[in-house]
Parts: sequence; structure tokens; C-alpha cells
Amino acid sequence: MRMRISVRQICFIMLIYTAVSRLILYPTLLSYQSGRDLLFSALIDFAIQTVIVWSVSFLCSKTDKTFFQLIEGTLGNVTARIVYGLFALFFIICAVIPVFEQKVYIHAIFYDTIPSLLVFLPFFFFAVYAASKGFENIGRCADICLPVFAVSLLFILVMSFAEVKWNSFLPVLKMPLKSVLSGSVSTIFRFFEPCWLLMFMGYFKYKKGDALKITLSYAGGALIVLLMLAVFYGIYDEIAASRQFAIAKISLFFPAIEVIGRIDLAALYALEIVMLFALVLNVQLAVHCISECTGFKKKEYISVAVNAVLLLMVIFLDNKFNALHELWSSWMGIVFIVFANVIPLLAWALKRGRND
Amino acid sequence: MVTLEKNIKSVKDVLTSQDIIVFEFDSLQGRKFAVIYADGLADKQLLGELVIKPLRDAESEAGYEEVKRRLALPEVKEGKKIKDAIKEVSDGNAVLFIDGEKDFFIIGLKNPPGRAVVEPPTQVVIKGPREGFTEDIKVNLGLVRKRVKSENLKVKMLKAGKKSDTAVAMVYIDGVCPEGLAERVEKQIAAHEIDIVPDSSYIAQFISGKPRSVFKRNGTTEKPDIFCAKVCEGRLGLIVDGSPIALTVPYMITEDIQAGEDYYANSYRSTVIRLLRVLSLFIGIFLPAMYVSAQLFKTQLIPFQLLLKISSSISGLPLSPSVEMFLTLFVLEVLNEASIRMPKYVGLALSVVGALVLGDTAVKAGIISTPAIIIIAFSAICLYTTPDFVETTTTLRWIFLIISGSLGPFGVVLFSAFLICYLVTEQSYGVPLFAPFAPLIKNDLYDSMVKANMFTLNNRPEVFGLKDKVRLKSK
Amino acid sequence: MIKKKFIIVFYWAVLLLLIGLFFTNDFGLVDIHKTSNIVAVGVDAEGEEVIVTAQVAVPQPSQSGDNIQYTEVQGRGLTVADCLNEINAKTGFYPKLLFCKLILIGEECQSEDLFRILGCFYRRNYSELTAQVAMCKGRAQDMLSLPATISPENNTALQRVLSEELKKSANVSVVNLKDIAEYNYSVSEACYMPFIEANVQGTSEGGGNGDNVGGESGSQGQGGQGGQSGGGGEQGGQSGQGGSGGSEGGQGGEGGQGGGGTQGQSGQSGGSSGGEKMEFTARKTAVFAGGKFVGILDEQQSFALNILKNDIRLAVIPCDAKGTHYTVGLKSANGGVKLKVDGGVPKLTLNFKARAQVQGAKQVLEPDSVMFDDVVKQEVLNAAEEEIKARLSSLTELSVKNNCDILGVKSLLHKYNHKYYEAFKDDILSRMQVEYKIDIQSNN
Repeated sequence: MRMRISVRQICFIMLIYTAVSRLILYPTLLSYQSGRDLLFSALIDFAIQTVIVWSVSFLCSKTDKTFFQLIEGTLGNVTARIVYGLFALFFIICAVIPVFEQKVYIHAIFYDTIPSLLVFLPFFFFAVYAASKGFENIGRCADICLPVFAVSLLFILVMSFAEVKWNSFLPVLKMPLKSVLSGSVSTIFRFFEPCWLLMFMGYFKYKKGDALKITLSYAGGALIVLLMLAVFYGIYDEIAASRQFAIAKISLFFPAIEVIGRIDLAALYALEIVMLFALVLNVQLAVHCISECTGFKKKEYISVAVNAVLLLMVIFLDNKFNALHELWSSWMGIVFIVFANVIPLLAWALKRGRND
Repeated sequence: MVTLEKNIKSVKDVLTSQDIIVFEFDSLQGRKFAVIYADGLADKQLLGELVIKPLRDAESEAGYEEVKRRLALPEVKEGKKIKDAIKEVSDGNAVLFIDGEKDFFIIGLKNPPGRAVVEPPTQVVIKGPREGFTEDIKVNLGLVRKRVKSENLKVKMLKAGKKSDTAVAMVYIDGVCPEGLAERVEKQIAAHEIDIVPDSSYIAQFISGKPRSVFKRNGTTEKPDIFCAKVCEGRLGLIVDGSPIALTVPYMITEDIQAGEDYYANSYRSTVIRLLRVLSLFIGIFLPAMYVSAQLFKTQLIPFQLLLKISSSISGLPLSPSVEMFLTLFVLEVLNEASIRMPKYVGLALSVVGALVLGDTAVKAGIISTPAIIIIAFSAICLYTTPDFVETTTTLRWIFLIISGSLGPFGVVLFSAFLICYLVTEQSYGVPLFAPFAPLIKNDLYDSMVKANMFTLNNRPEVFGLKDKVRLKSK
Repeated sequence: MIKKKFIIVFYWAVLLLLIGLFFTNDFGLVDIHKTSNIVAVGVDAEGEEVIVTAQVAVPQPSQSGDNIQYTEVQGRGLTVADCLNEINAKTGFYPKLLFCKLILIGEECQSEDLFRILGCFYRRNYSELTAQVAMCKGRAQDMLSLPATISPENNTALQRVLSEELKKSANVSVVNLKDIAEYNYSVSEACYMPFIEANVQGTSEGGGNGDNVGGESGSQGQGGQGGQSGGGGEQGGQSGQGGSGGSEGGQGGEGGQGGGGTQGQSGQSGGSSGGEKMEFTARKTAVFAGGKFVGILDEQQSFALNILKNDIRLAVIPCDAKGTHYTVGLKSANGGVKLKVDGGVPKLTLNFKARAQVQGAKQVLEPDSVMFDDVVKQEVLNAAEEEIKARLSSLTELSVKNNCDILGVKSLLHKYNHKYYEAFKDDILSRMQVEYKIDIQSNN
């Protein structure tokens, strides 16, 4: 089998895409749900996901087959196609809220006044193009994204640190347990990284210790998110729940901005490139799943179809973001638990083995 | 018995032009000879001294073998077919016919008019060799041979162009150049039939595989030292007759931010300069676009005091910020084009008209603002820090400007992401254009945006996947 | 082949569309030509309505880009947003608050809930929380139109008196929108902001730092204020109330200057129309609890608040030791508030540590003692400590008296002594014991 992505690139994906996809509304929503104990809410989710990521990456060490081949080998080709079809649907569902989130973020951060919805639509041209590319492209984009992410995030964090009041989190764990847990549960739909790994299975050459590397990368991504949450809440304290677009709001108080202007915007724009790649990854995987499911190899056409679905949602549900978010954070969470948590663990029950 | 007249007629029937000279002479013994050559291409002085004089003065019977012995020239070939004679005469060599002989001699007297070896205007250096390629392939190959004396240096001569029959020299080092690369390049050149190949850029398009792309797929250089260094790294070089610009493949985008001088200067200095080039590249491409974006969509991109100054400068302008920038860039491109094409003696007048009359008057008349001119001028200067990449970067600057004026900063960011996505999978002969950044190749990073010292760069680029990796071995 | 052709046609179509948009600017809803950059906003209340005065930078055509004029545009409505819309309708410019550095609240807004005035700035996406907030004596619209002595631009002069440097010298309690919301929405529910006053040049209250303490400077201040604004008014009373806790010599002047009301406004307007240049000071502090105005802290109380809340680089304090008046500079200052519940009694400790240096004294220095001048005498250090203690105690008393948790005691209880929070949260201010730990040492 052709190895299309390297372990290094998977580690980068786990590190940066995990972090970058949680920098916009996630801190605000967690502040709203869990208040100053938001770190614990996030920690619960990340701890569970880290275990599952470790489980899937460890499973990769036991076989060089793809997830499709594993299902096919155990449950037959038809089941494998059905499962991949369902995963395709799942990845589209995963992309919905981030796409809407990006739309409102872009309107707020890239434009002084609320621009037309049309301004965001070119995103789908990009998504069509990127999603028609394979895993090789995903991996190499991650290679480029790492330095961009590291430099811009560091830049923003350095600008923010002076404003952080670390006692904002006191008293620790005095919020009602219910609110901490509701913070974890209501944001569960943002956790689907084990599924990425499931899709990469068999497309990279596993070497000893790679499971640990991948798991640590994911944990690293989680740490970055926790740091971001801490900085955000440490700056805004009681009013954090009313401040949207966390990443764009934390560096505002850097004294030099008064003199040299919003230099943080340069870092935010660079970070946006990484956000776009993280966002499009779900679409890429949805296209991959449909291609495997149908056996149709012309990914360009599948990509057009998948993006058309998302585009129609964006157009017709333009003002329904709150309702969608409500839906995703309530019963839709079950879908995420099943696909991102249960199925990756169940994958151990599939017949493993090596390709000849 | 083949008569001399018959041979001459055969050639002249095809080469009817008057600049194809036929010179007939007799030896002392009365044997008849004829030399045919293209006027202006063959070296007449050598022809007279080393061919005609010895044969005319020959006292013995000048038979075929005797003639061969008397031609005191290094480049003498025997020819049998009139077709070959015609080709060689067209190429600039002379053909010697002997009365009564069917075979003839092809005498290498090709000496077309050409430039001397001078410093190339596009790659001027302060420190380092100043020789540059000329339009003569032989001179160019000589410049290469002068630097690489290895027995493994292979030069394979190809022909391109149905009518021009242009010589293309494929230069590589056997055992260092990736396997199969030479064959692939040869195949791609042979796959295209075109009337004329006036310049190496034609060959560049033949071998690119993606002629519609904004990004090139081959390196270019006018300097033999850079050419040789690249060939020694494992690349394959192409020298095209009539072009001073040599090509190298495979190509990576980082090559264009490297300059020959980087390797002759201190590595710290080279690193700083390279980073400066990268920064300039980004500024050159993005500055006009972001300036327009800032004015139209996100004023916060500009510091407040500067914004007030800009607002003051542009207030009352009849053009929108995007159109103003478009117009200014358009004027710059026109001036740039004109300054290259215009005769040199008009150049000064052009500078005066361009800089003073157009620029100053346009500002005074309130058509264009001062910041717009500053931004475009700075952008232009920035892009010329990487002259090899300038064709691509100027195109990108236009694209980004149009996108920023229509979609705003998000358009700029989105198109940047699109470019990354496009470039990471693009290849030049199996080598990713974005290497060593994507895929990330740690060791090759030392000669990318930074330039490590010579001892760190002891291996050839890993991205080529060479068997013979070691470039420097210190004892 | 068909696919390739389609892609080429598609790319051309996209390019043409973009070029079309580029030249028509359809998405550029509000470009730089149509924007008015508001640098400062004044908010006044008038009955049910609020009046917003926006100070707008209006660039005039100039090649060098140096020609900027500032003008005030007014809007009136039930909310701040209404007013901004009116400004938009009046001028045709879209008022952008992104560059608004100062929000000035007129004295009449004291009767309003603070967040009725400021709420709009939090809700709207287009203003940053970095804008400084201050209350001013009289009407904000008048204050924004006063000519200043130190700068031709009124907003620059106003911002100068709210600068970070002044904050570091404990002279001004600089806060921005974020600070105010944070303080107000904390369990303490109290916030503060600087109180700006305008004085006719040469009649400013007090000269150098701290020299305003005592009858001498107090009377000077009285004269200045009296001439300008007259006295009385609701705030005057409140201010006096606050001031009484301080019982400093200078408080006599406070009562007189705690003006406001109509006379004050007309005084300022008169100053403006007469073209008389004004000096701005912001050494007093307006205090709010639960969004409602509580009173004005005088200079001494403000100083006390500042040394506890801010990082101080160099503060200056006057003190009298053995009949001589000294001006003492305080370096390496470190202040803070601590709360401990000891034996069921909440104990508030106000800490202040600094290194002192005599900056001036009302006596002639003998040549022999010049070399020892750097070593501050113990009696001067003691006097400085006493002075600081008096100021701190004045602040604490005001806080207790008005049940205004300006020191954030409830927050400290909530964060560091959480188990006592429920028991003390309602009456901690009245139950707490206050301890002052002031340590001033000679710099050499």
C-alpha cells in the first residue's frame, strides 16, 4: 500500500488542528457554562479523548490495514461501505458548526462592518479544491501550518500574558459540579479527533513508539487549548462569557497596540490560514469516506457535492446558528459520543492482521 | 565519377541564399576543390589559413587521404551524404568537396558572431565569480567544463526546433543525478516539435509539465558557477544554444530566495539576507493588497495616527482606494516595461517623465495619493530582491490586489491558503516545489530560509533521494 | 479535456467576477471615505434621553497628510446606539468606535445606572474594551469642546491626563471599559473611574504632586473652582460626604469645588467660547456601587486607591515633620490588600511598602548637610507613613460608610476565604477589622 502521510504529519495535525479549532467560540461557551472552572470542563473532555486517541494509535501498531480493510475483513465489504457512508455523514456533521463559527468570526474580525454573506462563500471554492486532494496534501499542509501556527500563537500569547490575572480562577472547583459537567457535555460535539486517526490508519508506516508520539501530540494540543482558556478567562474574568472570538480578543490590551496599531491582526490572519486547513480536514475526510464507500475515485465531483451541502446549509440557515448550536450541544452530542468515542474503541474487536 | 559541379549543385539547389558562399580553387597539381560555407557564420580567416592555403600549395597529388592529412584542424569530420553537408553549412561549418570524390570533409569552423563572456546583468555579485553565460552553447559548455573537471560530467547534445535545429546540451553528473531524470527530460524535449527554439524559456515550458501554472518548474541561472553548483548537487542542467539563461531541474521554490553570493559570504550574513529576502517577498506581494483591504474593509490594520495621515492624503481623491491602487500599479508596470524596451538614451527622459511628471503631478493634481505611490514603489523594490521569482511574484501581486479589493482581507487569507494547498502537492520531476518545508526535510532546512555554514551542509539535498549523498568530507 | 476546458472557463469567470467586484466595490460597505473615526465620545443625560457627543477626526485634503481637524457631532436618543444612528443620519458618515480611546461621562449621568450609559459599548461589536472611561465635571459635550493648554487637540490633552505614566505615579485611577465591567460584575459590584476637571490656566488646584494638601493649596483650589463652576449640587454634597471621612486640611476646598450643575457647565462653555485655554486634571475619582454613583474620592483618597490598585513607579507625597514641609518621592512601591478571617473575624490588611527619597523641602539646605540629604531622616519617614495611613484610612472609611466595596474586599473573601463567603458576604465591610502595614524606608 502506498504510504501517503507520515507519522510526523499526523502528530502535527493532532497538535495544531486540535488547538486551532477551539480558539473562537469554545472559550466563550465554556466560560458561560462552567465559569471559572472552565479548565476542568475542558480537562474532562480532553482526558477522555486522549485515552481514545492512544487506543486508536496503539491499534495502528497492530495492523497495517486501513480501517475500511479492517471492517471489510471482519464484517464484509457491504458493512464496510455502510460504515464509511455513515462516517462521511458524521464528518459533514462535524464540519457544520465550525463552518458557521468561521463565518461569524470572519465577519467580525476581518471586516469593520458586517459584510454580505457572499464574502464568506469563496471559502467553498477553497474547500472544493482542498477536499479533492488526498492524504498527501493533508499531511504537507500540516507541515506548513506548524510554523505558522507556532509563531502566530506565540505572538498573540506574548501580547496577552501581561493582562492575565491568574487569581481569576479562584476559588477553584467551587462552581456547582453540574455546571462543570454541563460544560463538558455541551461541548462534546467539538471532539472528534480519534476519527481522524481512524481514517489515517493504514496510510502511514507505523514504527515503534509512534502511538506515544501521536498521543503526546494530541495532549500537547489539549495543553495549548487549556492555556488559551486560562489566558482568556484570566483576562476577562467575569465578563468572559460575553466576549466572543477569544483568540482575537486577548491581545487587545498589549500596550504597544496604542502606538503601532493592531499588529495582532497579522498573527490572527496567519492563524486563520491554519484554521481554514483544520476546518477543511473534516470535509476532506468526508470526501475520502464517500470515495471508499462508493468506489467512485473522482474526488473532485464528490468534493463539489459535499461542499454544496454545506453551502446550502450556510445559505439557508444563515441566521439559525444559535438554534444549530443548541441542537449540536444537546442530543446531537450522542452522535459524537458514538462515532468519536465508541466506534474507535470497538475497532479493537475487528480482525487485525497484516497486508501481504 | 562524381564531379565537383554536381556536388556544388546539390548543395546550392537546397541552400539557394546568396550568403551561402562557394569558393572553388585548384592545387598546384591542378586538383579542383570547393569550399561551401555560410557567410558570417564560419571563420573565414581560419578557412583561408588552415584549409585553402595548405591545399593550394600542395605540390604532390592531393588525394583524399593526403587532403585529410593536410587539414590541420582539430574538428574535421568525413561526410558521405549531401543532406549532412547542407545541415553542417546551415549550422555554420564549412564543407570541402574534392573533385572526383564522393565523400567530403566537414570542417568545424563555426564561429557565429556573439558576445564576450561578461557579468550577467540579472545576477550581479559583489563577492564571487563574475563570468556569465553567453548565447554560444560552446562557450557556455566551456565555462562549465572549466569548473567541473570530473570524468563523470556528462554532456548529452539534443536538438530542438524543426526549423531552427537548436542545440540543447543536457549536463549532469553521472552517479549524482537522480536515476532516470536525464531520460525523462530527453523524452519531454523530444515530445514537442516546434518550428524554432529561440530561447531556453521554450525548453522550460516543454519540460514543465504544467505550462499554465503561474509557478515555474525549473531553476534558471546566467552564472556558470551557480549552474555547476546545482549540477553538483544532483540537478540536471540544460544549456540552450542562443540563450544565456541555463535551466536546472528538479526545482524547488526556495532556490529563488538563494543567491550565488550567499555561498561566498559569511553564513550569518547570508541568513540575515535570506530572511530579508523572504520578508521583502511577502511585503512586495501583500502590501498593496493589504493597504487596499485596510482602507476598504478593516481600517484597524493601519495604526491610528497613520490612518489619519492617509485619510488626509486621500480625502478629495476622485478614485476609490482599490482603483487608485490599481492605477498606480498599472503605471508602475508600464514604466517598468517601457524602461526595459526603450533605447538607453531615452531612459533618462523616461525616468524624468515617470518619476517626476507622472508621479509628482498626479499627486499634486489630486489623482493619486502619496501613500499609494510609496506603497507601490516599496512593493516593487521588495520584489526585486528575488529577481528570479519576479515573474511569479508580480503576477501574484496583481491577483492579490484584485482579490483584496473585491473580497477584502479574508479573500487574501483564503487565496494564500489556496496557494499553499496547491503548492504543497506540486512537483518538479518528483521533487515537491515546497520542499524542504512541505514535506518537512530537516537537514535541507539548513539551506533554505537560513544558510548554515559549509560544514553543516556536508550532504547533498536529501529531497533528491540520492545514493551519493556526501558533498563534503573533511579529513 | 472537457473537464480541463470547464476549469479554465470557471477560473476566467471567477476572475471576471472579482474584477467586477473590484471596480464596483460592492462588498466595501463602509470604506475609509465614508467613515468617521471617532476619537472620543461624551455622554450626557438629559431627562430620559442621552446625548452623545462624538469627537470626530476629519481629515482635510493635504499632500503631507498633516491636516486633521477635530469636530464634535451630537446625537440624541433614548440609548447611546440611537444617538450614534442619529450622528450617522446627520453626517452621512458611519461612526466607527474602533479608534475611540476615551468615553467621557457627564456629571449629570450620576443619576443614571452606569451600564445604561456604557452598555452599548459592550454590546456593539465595533468598539474595543480598551477605551478609557472617565467622568467629567459638568457636561461631557462641553468638556470635549474646551481648548487645552498643553495640546491644540482637546482629546489629546484629555488623554494625557489619563496616561499610563500618571497612573504609575498614583495620580490618576485610569480604567478602561473592561476594568469597569470586571469590577462591577465581580462580587464586590463596585467600580471607579477618574473624574476630570477643567481649570482656567493658572488657577489650577494645587501645583506639584501632593502639594495640594493643607490649607494653603486648598484655598488655591477653592479659588480656582469657585471661579469656574460655583458650588452646590447633588454631587457636591456627595463629594463632601466622601471628603468628610478624610478629614484632611484640604477638604475645605473639596466642598467648594464639588460643583456641577448648570453653573459649572456654562462656566466651561464660556471658557470655550471665550477661547480661554484650560488645564485638565483627573486626580479625583468617581466611585460606583452596583452601577450607581456613590461619590467622588478626593485627591488623597484617590492616591490611596491608586497605590493599592496599580503598579506604582514613582509617587510623590507631601508630609510635615518637625514643622517642616517635605515632598517625599516613593520608589519601588508595592501596595496591596489582603483579607484573612481570624477567629471568625475578617481582617483586612492594607499593605504599602516603598523606598523614600526627599524631593523637596521647605527649608534651606545647609552646605554641610548636602551629602547626607539622600538619607531620609526617620522623622520624615514616619511622617510619610502617617500621611499614607491617613489617606488609606480615609478611603476605607468612605468605603464602609457608603457600603461601596471599592477595595474589592468581597472578592477577596470569595476567592481566598470562600468558606466564609456565605456568612460574611452581606456585611463584611462593617464587620471587618482594618490593619495598615506601611513600611517606608530610606532609599539610601
